Amino acid sequence: MESTLLSLAHGFSVALAPANVWYAFLGCLVGTLVGVLPGIGPLAGISILLPVTFGLNATQAIIMLAGIYYGSQYGGSTTSILMRIPGEASSVMTCIDGYAMAKKGRAGAALCIAAVGSWIGGTFGVLVLTVVAPPLATIALRFGPPEYTALLVLGLIFLAYMSSSSLIRTLLMACLGLLLGMIGIDNMTGHFRYSFDLAELGDGIGIVPVAVGLFGLGEILSTPSASAVKDIISPRMRDLLPTRTEWKQASMPIARGTLLGFIIGIIPGSAHIISSFLSYAVERRVSKHPEEFGKGAVAGVAGPETANNAASTGAFVPLLALGIPTSPITAVLIGALMIHGVSVGPTLVNDHPDVFWGFVASMYVGNLMLLVLNLPLVGLFVTVLRIPYAYLYPLIIMFCIIGVYEVNNSIVDVWIMLIMGVVGYALRKFDFDPAPLVLGLVIAPILEQSLRQSLIMSNGNYLIFFSRPISLALMIFSIGLLVLAAYSFILKRADWRTKLAEVEAGETET
Amino acid sequence: MTLRADHVAGAFFVGFGLLVLALSTDLPTGSLSLPGSGFLPKIVAFLTIFFGAVLALRAGESRPFAAVSWDDVKHAAMVIGITAAAVALFEKLGFLTTNILLIFALLVAIERRRLLPAAAFSIGVVAVTYVLFVYVLKTPLQTGPLGF
Repeated sequence: MESTLLSLAHGFSVALAPANVWYAFLGCLVGTLVGVLPGIGPLAGISILLPVTFGLNATQAIIMLAGIYYGSQYGGSTTSILMRIPGEASSVMTCIDGYAMAKKGRAGAALCIAAVGSWIGGTFGVLVLTVVAPPLATIALRFGPPEYTALLVLGLIFLAYMSSSSLIRTLLMACLGLLLGMIGIDNMTGHFRYSFDLAELGDGIGIVPVAVGLFGLGEILSTPSASAVKDIISPRMRDLLPTRTEWKQASMPIARGTLLGFIIGIIPGSAHIISSFLSYAVERRVSKHPEEFGKGAVAGVAGPETANNAASTGAFVPLLALGIPTSPITAVLIGALMIHGVSVGPTLVNDHPDVFWGFVASMYVGNLMLLVLNLPLVGLFVTVLRIPYAYLYPLIIMFCIIGVYEVNNSIVDVWIMLIMGVVGYALRKFDFDPAPLVLGLVIAPILEQSLRQSLIMSNGNYLIFFSRPISLALMIFSIGLLVLAAYSFILKRADWRTKLAEVEAGETET
Repeated sequence: MTLRADHVAGAFFVGFGLLVLALSTDLPTGSLSLPGSGFLPKIVAFLTIFFGAVLALRAGESRPFAAVSWDDVKHAAMVIGITAAAVALFEKLGFLTTNILLIFALLVAIERRRLLPAAAFSIGVVAVTYVLFVYVLKTPLQTGPLGF
């Protein structure tokens, strides 16, 4: 514990260096804008802005990109509360009671509760991350190929089980991502796979063109400017502070949202989305006045907003300790660190202590910054929402092109982005969530290598995954989840996905 | 029988899986003790076919294919067309010229904005972005025949 505190102190010395504070601020500001603007999620935001970090060192780059990630969770609440539009998918639940509070003249209080809840959730997440990640990394050093294979299989199954679309749809997206991830030279045999004599495909398909295409361009193609909404409730600054009763109503949902969000964040999948939905469901269930939900219940804002920020931080635990991305966003962050010559995994904490501890400490700073930034500047963010979408999306397309081209100076990557934009558009038409595709793409090389190494180690015996304690535990967990999923699937029981779809459908209708 | 969205989606994934298998014929599968480069791609292709077939078989739960809204397809096609033209010209004309033309074309052809404001906006934002990237962030951008 003492060494952790010493390392954290070192991290603060890194994070509080003026340049790093500046990049944390920049990340938080851009992240809030990304969260505020409908149509640009954190994934597209981080991918598009990746080239901006090329001139920075690895610590500054990860500080800024992570700031965009958790900043977007804060920003997403603004449009949900003031416009009833989730700027970001995890803010869907906040729309319901946040907008109802705004209509009752309590927009400022709703924004304040969302910001304070987000800060508490985010800061708690960083505290646990500080304590948990280093020992977890030590355990992960004992991982061999079978353990990594079992962990990745568990990750894929968990993703399918917890994803916001149906099980089969998620698995199909993951398969598509895995297949895309196998394009290029096979590392173990040197065979060219599916590269169609294009030298640029030798290294495979990059995550940035795929993510930007699916989430940036794909969203623009599905959003004609005529459908952009302009009805915004402007909060009055004097109403920004909640009343004592509102604070009281928010306190327990914030506490529950913090715990729930962090735990779900560690689990693979679109954790920040799932956590906000589950938190809303929990709050409604434990409330003495469930009839108030949908009509401006404080708990309906406090719980989900806290949970999605705690989940965003929780997602960094497997990223930093194991080098395993649990979401497409953390996958892009891994890609960003790799571009800067830092390989993420259990050795990160020892090999690059400046990056690891500087990043952890910067999250304390960043969460505080966001609290200060979001409340007084809410008027500015509302002004941004008044920019006509017709002028906004051409800019986003330009940044998509720059963002993708600058990573490898490859025009083939930009064509891939364009194709992925069309794919993303088509997937939306058929109700597929593209996030598992990106995750499949990222883990494909790791999964393939560890699976093949495991089989070579065991001379082709599959029982290797059941003969080592860690991989056995992970495989049992995977099988358990498959059984649970099959149970719901066969009996066609309404699980949380169905309920979320019902809520979203209700949101669209109103 | 009503053709449903998941019939089409499922059929697509079955076809895609078969295409991957066809493209994998020259990749060695290897053995369990020494898996080749075609080992995992073929497994995943079979899984894609299986899940695609399940999706199509359970398509009764999905909406009819005719109910899928294509109202925005004209907008999408125009954006794709203009962006594709910009991508084709990007390395020839460079960042400044290509992006000014891209934004101007999107504003005029799709958004029906007047020529002068569209031109002013395109030139302004692209110039600011150029200065931001090249001089502030020290990130070089693609140059054209005239050196910018």
